Order: sequence, then C-alpha cells, then structure tokens
Amino acid sequence: MNIRVRIACMVLAAILIGPVGGAPVAAAPGETISLAFLAGYKEDVLRANISKFEQSTGVHVQIDASPYDDLYKKTLLSLSTSANRYDVLFMDEPWVPALADFLAPLDDVTKQIDLGDFVPSTVAAGRYRGKLYALPVDPNVQLFIYRKDVFQQRGLKVPDTWDDVLRDAQMLNDPAKGVAGIVTTAGSDQQTGLYMLLLMWSYGGDVLDKNDRPSAETPEARRGAGEFVQLLKYAPPSVQSYSFADVNKAVQLGKAVMAIQWASGARPMEDPANSTVAGKLGYALMPKGPAGRDPMRGVWTIGVAAKTSHKDAAAKFVQWITGKEFGTTAALYPATSSAIHSPRVSVLQDPKVDAALPYAPALLANLKIARSRTRVPQWPDIQEALRQAAAKISTGAISVPDGLKELDASLGRIMAK
Amino acid sequence: MVRYARGGLPWLAPGIAFLLLIDLFPLAYAVVISLYSWWLVRPSETHLIGLGNYVGLVTDPQVAHDTAVSAVFMAGAVSLELVAGLFLAVVFAQRARVFDLVRPVILLPLFITPVVSGTMWRLMFHPDLGIVNYYLRRIGIAGPPWLSDPGLAMVALILLDAWRTIPFMFLVLHAGIVSQPHEFFEAAMVDGAGAWQTFWHITLPLLRYIMVVAVLIRAMDAFREFDIFYVLTSGGPGTATETIQMLNYRIFGFGRVGLASALSTLTLVLVAAMSLALLRLLARERAA
Amino acid sequence: MKRGVRAAGTALLAAAVLVWTLVPLFWMLSASVKTELQLYLRPPRWFVPPVWDSYRQVLFEVPFAQYFANSLAVAAGTTVGAMGLGALAAYGFSRFAFKGAATIRFLILMTRMVPRIALVVPYFLMMLRLGLLDTYTGLILAYVSFALPFTIWLMIGFFDEVPRDVEEAAFVDGCSRYRAFRDVVLPLAAPGLVVTGIFAFLLSWNEFLFALILSGVHSKTLPVVIAGFNTDVGPLYNEMSAAAVLVMIPTVILTLALQRHVVRGLTLGAVKG
Repeated sequence: MNIRVRIACMVLAAILIGPVGGAPVAAAPGETISLAFLAGYKEDVLRANISKFEQSTGVHVQIDASPYDDLYKKTLLSLSTSANRYDVLFMDEPWVPALADFLAPLDDVTKQIDLGDFVPSTVAAGRYRGKLYALPVDPNVQLFIYRKDVFQQRGLKVPDTWDDVLRDAQMLNDPAKGVAGIVTTAGSDQQTGLYMLLLMWSYGGDVLDKNDRPSAETPEARRGAGEFVQLLKYAPPSVQSYSFADVNKAVQLGKAVMAIQWASGARPMEDPANSTVAGKLGYALMPKGPAGRDPMRGVWTIGVAAKTSHKDAAAKFVQWITGKEFGTTAALYPATSSAIHSPRVSVLQDPKVDAALPYAPALLANLKIARSRTRVPQWPDIQEALRQAAAKISTGAISVPDGLKELDASLGRIMAK
Repeated sequence: MVRYARGGLPWLAPGIAFLLLIDLFPLAYAVVISLYSWWLVRPSETHLIGLGNYVGLVTDPQVAHDTAVSAVFMAGAVSLELVAGLFLAVVFAQRARVFDLVRPVILLPLFITPVVSGTMWRLMFHPDLGIVNYYLRRIGIAGPPWLSDPGLAMVALILLDAWRTIPFMFLVLHAGIVSQPHEFFEAAMVDGAGAWQTFWHITLPLLRYIMVVAVLIRAMDAFREFDIFYVLTSGGPGTATETIQMLNYRIFGFGRVGLASALSTLTLVLVAAMSLALLRLLARERAA
Repeated sequence: MKRGVRAAGTALLAAAVLVWTLVPLFWMLSASVKTELQLYLRPPRWFVPPVWDSYRQVLFEVPFAQYFANSLAVAAGTTVGAMGLGALAAYGFSRFAFKGAATIRFLILMTRMVPRIALVVPYFLMMLRLGLLDTYTGLILAYVSFALPFTIWLMIGFFDEVPRDVEEAAFVDGCSRYRAFRDVVLPLAAPGLVVTGIFAFLLSWNEFLFALILSGVHSKTLPVVIAGFNTDVGPLYNEMSAAAVLVMIPTVILTLALQRHVVRGLTLGAVKG
C-alpha cells in the first residue's frame, strides 16, 4: 500500500517538477526583456540586427514572434490578465485603442527622442485619447502603383481619380496575354476589407459614423463598395484567392499594369532577382473620389506594458527600434517579401535610401495625407466583420447592398457588446 | 478471480485524479465564466449576466451556420474515408505481400503533423503554384480556384482529411478482416459465392462492430478538428468553412472570454449528447 | 488469365495508393529546395538542382534548434507522464475486478472526445494562476491529459496479454504485487508499451492549438513555428516547406522503424473496443 502511494506521488512529482522549462523571468546577468513581435519577414530583419542593441546596452531581448491574428490574441491575453508575458509589444495601429489601458504612456521616453523627425501622421498612430501609448516603427500606407513603361507607350496620364483608374484598367486589361488591368485582393484575405474601405472613404462612406454608430448602409458607402467591385472586373482571374503576397507576385511577374498595395510590399518589386519589372514601376498618390483622397494608414508601432518591471530596458529598446540607425538599416535590408521602413523623415529622404527605394517619395507623400481607421477599442472585431463582408461582396456571393446590410448588423452587435 | 477483486483503486487513483484535475476542473470553470460578460479589453466592466451569452449565441445565425459546417465536414470526411478504407482493406486482405509493401508508406500521412499536412495541401491547391490545377488544365479541365470557392474549399478540406485518415480506416478494417478465421471466406468460395456476394454477406456483417467503432472514433475526431482548418482555409472564404471550433477560437481571440466559454459549454453539451448516442449504439452492437 | 488480370489490378491499385500518398509529400519536399520563382514556374519542375536557402533561413535566421529542443522536451515529458500514470491505471483495470470498472473505463475514454478548444480558455487561466504559462510543464500537463485516455486503453490490452500465471509464480516466490508488476509484468508487456509511448510522443509532437495559446519564447513548439511562416503578407511557402520537412523527419523515422508495432497498436484499440 505504502509503495503504491509512493509510486503515485513519485510519478506526479516527476511530471510536476521534472522538466520545468526556463523560468518565466530568467535572472541572467544584465536585464532581459520579452518582446511580442510579428512572425515572418519583419522578424528576420529584427533578428539580424538585434545583437547591435544587445551589445550596446547589455539588455537581452527575447523575441516571441506570432502570425498577425495570433499576435493580437497573445498580446491582449498577456496584457489584460496577470500573465505579464511581454514587456514590449509590436502592435498594428488599430490595436492601440483596445490595448491602451494596459500600456504605459510614453511621455518620458519621448523626451529623449526628437519627435520632430517623425512624419506627424505616424506619431498619431500611437496616440489614443490624447496620450501617446506607442511610437511608430514601420510606417505603412497604401500606394497606387503603375507600370510607367506601359502608360508611356500608350500615351496615358497617371490616373488621378478612381474613375480614371477604372477606365484605364478596362482599356489595359488583356486576359488573352495574361495581363490584368489592375491587381488587388478579393475574397477572404483581410486586405480585401481594407481596400473596400479605402474606396468607401473616397466616396464619403465609412463603417462607423462620427458618433461611432454603424453606418455601412449609407449611399456613399454603397457607391464606394460598388466601385471596388467594378475594379475587380479587370483583375486577374484567380484574384479571389489572392493575398498580399499574390498581389506582389502579379506585379513582379508583369501580370498587372496597376496595383493598390501597401508600401511594405514595394521593396521586393524593385528587386531585379525576383521582379521582372524592377525599375519600370511608378508610384503615385492614391487616386481620389468625390469625397477626397484617403490613402489608408497602417503603422506598426512599439509600446511598453504598463506592468513591466523592466521600464528602463524597455524604454531603451523603444528608442533603439524607432531610431535612425535601425530605421536606415531596415530600410536598406534586402527584402524578399515585405519591408520595414522608417517613420523618420531624415531616413526616408536619405539619398542612399532613396536610391534603393524608388518609391520612398510616394511613401512619404501618401503618408502625409494618410487617414486612419476609426480609433475604437472594438476595431479588431470590426475589421474581422469587414473582412467577412468584403469576402462575400468581392466574390459575388452577395450583392453590395445586402453585403453592407449584413455588415451593418454585425457592426451593431459588436458595438453593443 | 475473487482474489483480485479488491485493491484496484490505488492503482487507478493517480491517473483518475490527474484527469479530474486537468480536464474536469477547467470544464467546470468554463461553465462559471460562461455566465459572465467578460471582455478582456475592459476587465473592469466584467459582470454576471446569467444566460445572456447563451441567448446571444443561440440567436446568432453564425453559430447555426458553423454547426452545419461542422456537421457537413464530419459526414463528408467520415463517409469518404469509410468507403475508401473498406475498399482498400478488402482488396489487400488476400494480398499479404502487396500489403507489406504498401504499409510503411500508407502509415506516413497518419502521423505527420496536421499543420504540416495542411501546408502540403495548401501548396497543391494554390491557384497559381498548385499542381492540382496545372494537371487538371493539362487534361482539359479549367481548374477552379479551390480555396476561394465555398463549396470547393470544403471539398479540399475533406480531401485533405481523407488523405490523412483513410490509412486509419484501411489499417483498422484490414486488421479486422485478417483476424477473422480463413474458413469463413474459404467456405463461401467453395459454395461458389462470387466476390461481391462474399463481401456483402460474409465480410460486411463480420466487420460491423469494428466499422461502428472506427466510424465513431473518426466522427468525434472530425468534429473537433481544428488544425487543418486553421492552416488550409482559416475558415474562409469569408466564413464558408468556419466550424464551431474555429468560431470559438475567433471569439476567444477578440477577448470575449465569457462568450467563448458559453460556446465551449454548448459544444460540450452537443458532444455529450453524441457520446450518449454512441454509448447506446455500441451497447446494441455488442449485444448483437 | 483471370488471376493475371486481378494481380495486375491489385498492383495498379497499390501504385495509385502510393502516388496519392507520396505526391503531396514530394511536392513539399521539392518546394523546400526551390527558390520562390522556381515554385511559380509552369510547367511545374519536379526535380530541380537543390537550393538550400530556405533551410539556411529556417535553421539560422530563427532559433529553430531551440524550438526543436522545446518540442522534443515537451514530447518526452508527455511520454513519461502518460506512460507512468497510464501503466498504473491500466494494470489496475487489467488485474482487478470492481464495481463500475466498465463505466469508469468508458468515462475515461470519453474525455478523449472533449473538444480541446473548450478547455483552452479555462486552462490558460489556470496555468496563469499556477505560474505555468509558457513553461514545458504547462504544456506537458495538458498533453498528458490528452494522451492518458488512449494510453490507458491500449495498455489494458497489452497487460491482458501477459498471462497471470507468471505473476502468480512471482507471488509464490514472495514478491509483493508492486514488485511483480515492476519486475515481471512490465518487461513482458514492453513491446506494447513502446508503441503506446510512440503514440503519446507523436500526440505531443503534433499538437497545435494549446501550443499556439500557451507557449511563448520559452516553450514554443514546432507546429506553431510552421504556422508562423504564414505571415501577414502571405505564406512564405519555401521556408514553410523547409520547416515542415524538418519537423517531419523524427515522425517519419519513428513511424517507419516501428511500423509493424504501430499498426498493431493502432488497430488494437479499435478492434478490441
């Protein structure tokens, strides 16, 4: 009997104590901070350069990289419970309102930073209710991209309005040759929802009105979404399964004359090893609609957990990753899928950077007039609802008015919760 | 036998205690949480709302839709796997040499990490990169955009699941046939019964019990499948292939902890009901 | 003549089975040694001079070795835990008759049916309280509870096959029941236990959902790493394939080396019910 109890205890003890992993906060020499980061290309750039930060400060950085959707989940879960897993967080700007309650205001940090060097709209990305909770790391904005050579050859002007874009797309679309008039995403990818929203904005619509009430059913929203569906007629045949990377591929293989793509995708388009159109692309201001010109802003920001016990080390890291040195290195880092740029005017106007990134002036110009998605804590939920509606609308599974009606209902449920 | 009757409990205790602690406690906790309105973004606003979350779920068309998706996947995948597995088992039952040759290969899909299998099939179904559409085009069929068509995305998921688990059906049913005494089949052959008759009147009845068990195991696994959905379609296009499990993950991901727990509890009730039906069916099969 | 046709039919079917099984594997393998542009080439190239860039990226630009070690440690811990608890319980079921044994057995099997997503939120909160988030232990505890039902179930079968006379003889020699279990029954049931251990190992090796939510820098396992190549700018197919191939290697080795036993373990559970 005794023996049996003893075995049982031993087995349990072995499981419970035996192979314990690294303790949550290792007491290594020097300080260690934990960073929630985006998995993939941006992670590669960071990892390739992190040793510079570690050597100069003695602070060790543990990088926990997750895919886009999981990054928000993990960040929220860690910040809002007592889990306290991360000291520093890499956040897409629409997440900032939802996470602001758990972030440390960065006013102290910014005293040591020359905020004047940042493109002003990128700093706004980290602000919520008048306080600065995050600083920009990677300024992103949607760009209008076109084939300079084709436009020249056909004697066409660079489109300035969405109607111009539609007309040119129709004219230049040549399915027999496998060349599409325009490429963007349609279908399930979350970019589809954002492109649809971009068009809705240009026509004066939005998902929420001034008082944060659902407004997806306005005539303006309908016209914008309708225009988006029109554009897709001149997109590649399999556009409904396109993601960000597929838009890039289509451009790089010369299969589209125009494209709407985030600036972070432009770097590989200029890489001759992976792009047949390097040097042939033009980058313009986002075309305008009746209500204006509204390229969408999507800045990746860095923030510090309010509960961190490594405030100083975290602040040092924020300074480093938003700094000029990392910004320049990252902007010049040869990218295969997408790039990190710098929110600093001095970097974006650096001749070396401009030589490597022909689109840098367009990035800066679009960024200056960029519009942000509505700053509400429910935005991640809203973006998902938008994604679903846009998927149905862009594949023709549902008409524009019905799709927006469904969207409006979802928005009502989200805002009521 | 009587000698052994007492003293079994101490041997079971550690295992059972462990399961109670690690499985049952969280389940009970989930039920408690499900009665609260709890959004991680606003923890200070957490409050008891009784059955409010459940009311919200039952009236949400998405929940009904996703339950249907789960059911379609379960039915489609399991029936395809059963038919294919049974066919292979019968054909290879009398061909031990060929079976020995095929076995090592056929085992592989079963144990390969589901996330990895999902990756493989995503490559194959890719509209531009994929070989499926390329070779379809070669034989004159315009390849459809597999993963962006609601119906075909489900077909792709079922094919992937079949790729992974036909081997399970095959091996289990094969073992079932091989474990039967040879005389059954030989007697039938002597009687001049054709292959089809032998299958219909001898093989199938003999395999009944094993088939029921195998189908039940697979059905439950298919119902709670998560990984391949996550990797292959993420529930898309739109929410066309979103299952209850995916929905739960999505709700949880937005920090709606109370709502997610309510959905978990509903799912559990559903599974418990299915398990009970299973129990009845098994008991009846055993008696037969 | 008819026999010849049937043999040819069987051979054809066997070939079809092999192609169906191996083509996805091979396509991924070939994707892992291609450049991105080669992947897009039409007609598809099945054989290319291998380019190892993807492997270099996976192995050296992310701490892949660390993730591999994490996966290995968690799987090993799961195997030990599930086998220890499982062997005791299975022996209890195999050698003792008591009231409600069948019901308990069934209930244990039922816990296998619980959708894991239902457990993940409360489990997260529980591990948070215990300070076990992002530790091997946190993952191992969960995986042992997943593996335990079928571990017990399989082991009952293997213990049943060990004749009781052998134990009786040990009792006569003055052995306690525990010593008889340890020194006589366990070694005799060893082949079966190895199979059970493999199943527990692979369950842990392959698990994705809990790892996704519970693991972090200290404990991230490989399936999560693979899913991570599906970035916000689309999947990095080459790197994803390379990582997937590396994750597959231990699985393939284990499966092939022990295939006969694995088939036996697989079928035992279902056939014996």
